[in-house]
Amino acid sequence: MVTKAFKDLAILNAAKRGMPHERITFTPHPVSGKTPDELRAYVEGNDPVSGKPMMMEIVDALTRPLSEDEKKTGMVPINVGPPSFKDTAVNLQEYFLNNGMTDFLPIILPTEETVDAMLKSTSHKPDEVCGKMAAGAYPPWEFTVKQVAVNAVMAGCRPEYFPVVLAIASSGTPSLFSSTNSFAYAAVINGPIRDKLNMNYGIGALGPFAQPNATIGRAWTLLSKNLGNGGIPGDTYMGSQGNNLNYNNAIIAENEAASPWTPFHVQKGFKVEENAISLFRGLGIVPGQGARGTSTDTPKHEEQFSDLFSVFTGFFGGLVIADPLVAVSLKSRGYDTKEQLIAWLYKNTTQSVKDYKSRDFAYGFDYPRALKGLEPYATWYKMPDDAMIPRWPHETDINVVVAGGQTNAFFQGGSLSYTVSISIDKWT
Amino acid sequence: MNRRKMLSLLGISPALLAGAPVDAQKPKKSDAKATLNKVEALNPRGTPPPTQLVPMAPRLASLDGKTIYLIGDGFPGADHFLDQIGIWFKKNMPSVTTVYRLKAGAFADEDPNLWAEIKAKGNAAIMAIGH
Repeated sequence: MVTKAFKDLAILNAAKRGMPHERITFTPHPVSGKTPDELRAYVEGNDPVSGKPMMMEIVDALTRPLSEDEKKTGMVPINVGPPSFKDTAVNLQEYFLNNGMTDFLPIILPTEETVDAMLKSTSHKPDEVCGKMAAGAYPPWEFTVKQVAVNAVMAGCRPEYFPVVLAIASSGTPSLFSSTNSFAYAAVINGPIRDKLNMNYGIGALGPFAQPNATIGRAWTLLSKNLGNGGIPGDTYMGSQGNNLNYNNAIIAENEAASPWTPFHVQKGFKVEENAISLFRGLGIVPGQGARGTSTDTPKHEEQFSDLFSVFTGFFGGLVIADPLVAVSLKSRGYDTKEQLIAWLYKNTTQSVKDYKSRDFAYGFDYPRALKGLEPYATWYKMPDDAMIPRWPHETDINVVVAGGQTNAFFQGGSLSYTVSISIDKWT
Repeated sequence: MNRRKMLSLLGISPALLAGAPVDAQKPKKSDAKATLNKVEALNPRGTPPPTQLVPMAPRLASLDGKTIYLIGDGFPGADHFLDQIGIWFKKNMPSVTTVYRLKAGAFADEDPNLWAEIKAKGNAAIMAIGH
């Protein structure tokens, strides 16, 4: 049984998993928040898709003998079109747009010539398998180095950016994901490649002020659509409101020179001179201006971070994006390392068990984990409602990076979980 | 919209119904003047795996005296909705026994212990997915 809002998703997902004739009965949407009387009316009413009485349809689905189609076995190939398309540039732009291969902004047409130029920036062979990607709980699509290059060209990447795009693609992490949540994605780039590519980590570091910051993130979204089959509303994308960050994601080059702390990639085991990209996934990024304590003469930025994070769900991690002025101030007040700051935030950003249990994320994801005995969820669900618990399950759910142009001691907070760090050098 | 048309519009899966692959849409024909300036652009799409068709489980001849598991996947409201399904069976098909279970793990996780229990003790299962 599936609520009506997920009709296309249910039918297509069943087909992709080999049951194109799956018997699905639909209910009105939503079922959450409805009274028993309202739900009884659903059950005693009609399937809103077929128009037939819902329970009769269920009984029929369980007892009607299978048709020959429903018994079929075997492998069925899926066709994604010819290797190339030939037409005028204007018509091709329209074709790519109308067939879901763009982000609805104009693209650079991926010709053999432009793709070959992109491929010259890596030692990897064009037909080498780069990775697999799935934009949800679907069978993943596979792709080669050349197929990644096609998407990098479309996004407007210069060839020298290509190893960064390959590193993202190799992770298999889509920047568009099938959920009613409108997830946001971010990536932190460290190492000398930031300067080699002229990435912006100063004034306006998170804004549209540098080609690599803009196009590497855009390539991530295009390859998520074209290589991972993501971003098809109703099929592989269900975000109810969408997320503006999905256009080119938040590409954050860390301001290593102005930061008093260890670069993020070194925290993850890389050497300072190595190049790496670290991926994050969550709900979004908000500015910290106006947080508690920002008007004092000696601002306690850690309290401001905690204040900002207190409105975030703890389902995703907390990412502090601190301007170097903020980082230097914290260092002068005794936070010699990012880890010391993180330990303070973990200890001092708390919530009541009652508030925790009231969150839909907790009910939908953590409670089933608690039933399986996974910690800390199992313990949290046994505690009294007025007990105070950390905002996040683990201290490692909090991360800190430094970016910005030092025009003011500002920071931004991401409801974002760290997922993985990938070597960029491996893809040069 | 029927399943075949919906799958065709998405350009990926009608073969699953038809049993044979279909061609994706071709670019529209350009006008005569523009044919002099044609460009060849590469297809940006990756390679989907072929789909292994899975035969559906045999159906029951009747639900009389059978046990049906009602499975919630953890999304809010599914438990209360399935309660009403159970009440309907009790009122309209009293020989049917319903058993409610919340699937363990996050919504997309497998729950092999529950699957084994259903196979051992149940005759059919209804899974509720949605919000």
